[in-house]
Order: sequence, then structure tokens, then C-alpha cells
Amino acid sequence: MWLPLLGLILGLALGLLTDIQIPAVYENYLSIAVLAALDTLFGGIRAHLQQVYDDKVFVSGFFFNIALAAGLAFLGVHLGVDLYLAAIFAFGVRLFQNIAVIRRILITKWEDRHKNGMKNQ
Amino acid sequence: MNKKIIARITIVSFIIGLMIAIQYNTVQKPTERDTRDIWEVRQELSEEKKRQSELLSEILTLSEDVKEYESSNSKNQGQVLQNTLEELKREAGLSPVSGPGLTLNIRPSMELIEFGYQVEPITPELLIRLVNEIFRFNGLYMEINGQRIVHTTAIRDINGDTTVNSIPINDTEVEIKVITESFEMAEKLYSYLYASGFQDDFYIDNLDLVINKAQDKITITKFDGELVNSYLVEENKGD
Repeated sequence: MWLPLLGLILGLALGLLTDIQIPAVYENYLSIAVLAALDTLFGGIRAHLQQVYDDKVFVSGFFFNIALAAGLAFLGVHLGVDLYLAAIFAFGVRLFQNIAVIRRILITKWEDRHKNGMKNQ
Repeated sequence: MNKKIIARITIVSFIIGLMIAIQYNTVQKPTERDTRDIWEVRQELSEEKKRQSELLSEILTLSEDVKEYESSNSKNQGQVLQNTLEELKREAGLSPVSGPGLTLNIRPSMELIEFGYQVEPITPELLIRLVNEIFRFNGLYMEINGQRIVHTTAIRDINGDTTVNSIPINDTEVEIKVITESFEMAEKLYSYLYASGFQDDFYIDNLDLVINKAQDKITITKFDGELVNSYLVEENKGD
């Protein structure tokens, strides 16, 4: 259960300690990629809680979303339209929705457990 | 939870962590952009070259010293050592120096006297700027109203009086003596000071800065107090 958190911390530590920097031009792409990755992660957790998790969907979604978001931003830069805003908006909304669903599922589970515990007593 | 799912999520969160950290690094520490144009770069290059030539001339002087030490016999070595000591004393300000240079005078401006304003002392800031500028422009030794400027000299305000080496300087007449390497340098310094905005800066404070022509020989007194050495300690060599 704590392994994903450990992975996150490990990634953060590695990134901060190695002091890797990317050119400022690509900052936008990375921020969108982070957002896309977060969206996929929470989508995966939600799918798992709803028992509809599919490995292929999760992994392909992770890479595809990142590529799509970066591609959209790239296209936006070349067309002179801030298309990355569309990606930020879409991922932002989905992130909130996913987190809301996860929260509801967890609350329902917790309530069920609580009720069962009362019954058993 | 299925082990496979956990592994997948862990890998994804690791990648997310890495991306966030990289993004953080990039946003927090933007590499400073080099916005200098070709002239600024050239100017910096010329400054560095100047420094290089200064260092080279210093190396030359020191290697001459070394040669002198090596070539002289044991009797003469004492003399050479004495010479070096004298040289060091002169540089530190412990012995009087004379050489080509120029003098500056600071007086209250005529307007101030005519209108009967109160004479204000020279502000330390202005004096420090002048001194720094002169040292920056090849001034070797300097004295303000008989006070030799050494490396510990403080020009500051004490109870409303501008002091040099903790001794108040005269309000109405200040004389600054500067010694340079050569007469040509003194002339250059004269031209430089004349062209710089110092006279205007002094005039704002109702002071006249008189820059006198370069002279062949100017004598500067030695430092009046005792130099305190807080950090240098004599090494005991044991032989």
C-alpha cells in the first residue's frame, strides 16, 4: 500500500539530488506531462477501486496522455493558439472528478466497514 | 491489492515524482541568460587583459627579487633583504614615499561663501568614492590632510565630523596627495579626474574640487599610528 508513495518520494529525491534541469522552452510541456501523468495515476486508482482496472488501458493511457498533451502544446505553440490550456483544463477537470470518485468510494467502504463492525459487536 | 497493480502504480508515481522534481528545479533555478552584447564582452575581456598584464608585471618584479637573492653573496643578502623590507614598508604605509603624482584640493565653493551658508564638512561617502576611484585608476599611495591611506584606514562620520584614520579632517580646506607609478600616469589620472563627474558631484555639496596639474615629485608622509596585525602569526620554524 505504501509502495507507490515510496516510489513518489524516491522519484522526487532522485530528481532534486541530481539537479537535472530542462531548457526553459520545454517547461510548458513538462508541466502538462506532469498533469497528464497525475490524471492517469488517479484514473488508475479509481478504476482499481471500481474493479474495472485494466493493465493495458492504464499503461497505454499513461504514455498516450502524456504524448497527447505534449503534442497539443507543441501544436499550440506553432499555431499561435494556447492549446496547452485545453489540455490543462481537460486534465484538471478529470483530476478533480477522479479524486471525488475515489473519495466517495473510500467513504462508502469505510462506512460499510463501520456498520459491519457495529453489527459484529 | 494486486501486486501487479501496485508495481505499475509505483513505477508511475516514481516517474511523476521525477518529473515534478525536474520541473521544480527548472522553475526555481533558471539559468541566468547571457544578455551581454559584443561590446560588453569586449569590455570585460579588456578588463581581464588589464588584470593579466598587472599580474605579469608583478610576477616580473618578484622574479627580479628572486634573482637578486640568488645572485648576491651572503654579505649582500642582508642588503637585499633590507631593500625588500623597505619596499614592503613603503607599500604598507610605514615609511614616507615620494614620486610623481598630483594634488587635489577641496574647498567650499564661492557661492557658499557669497551667500553666507554654513560650511558643511565633506561627506564620507563622497570622499570614499573619490578615494576608490583614484585607487582604481592607478593611484599607488594617497594621503588626505596628512593622513596616509593604508589598508586599515577608515573614512567615516564620527559625531558629525568626517574622519580619516579616526582624525577629523578640516572642514574648509582638504588636500589630497596622490602618487602614481610614473609622471605619465599622473597626467592620465589628471585627465581622467577632470573628465569624470567628480567636480559636479562635489559641487552638489557646495564644494569645489580643484584638480592640480601633475607634478614630478610629491612626498607623502608615513602612516601615523601603529598597524595592528590580528591574524598574522609568526611561524616557528624550529631551526
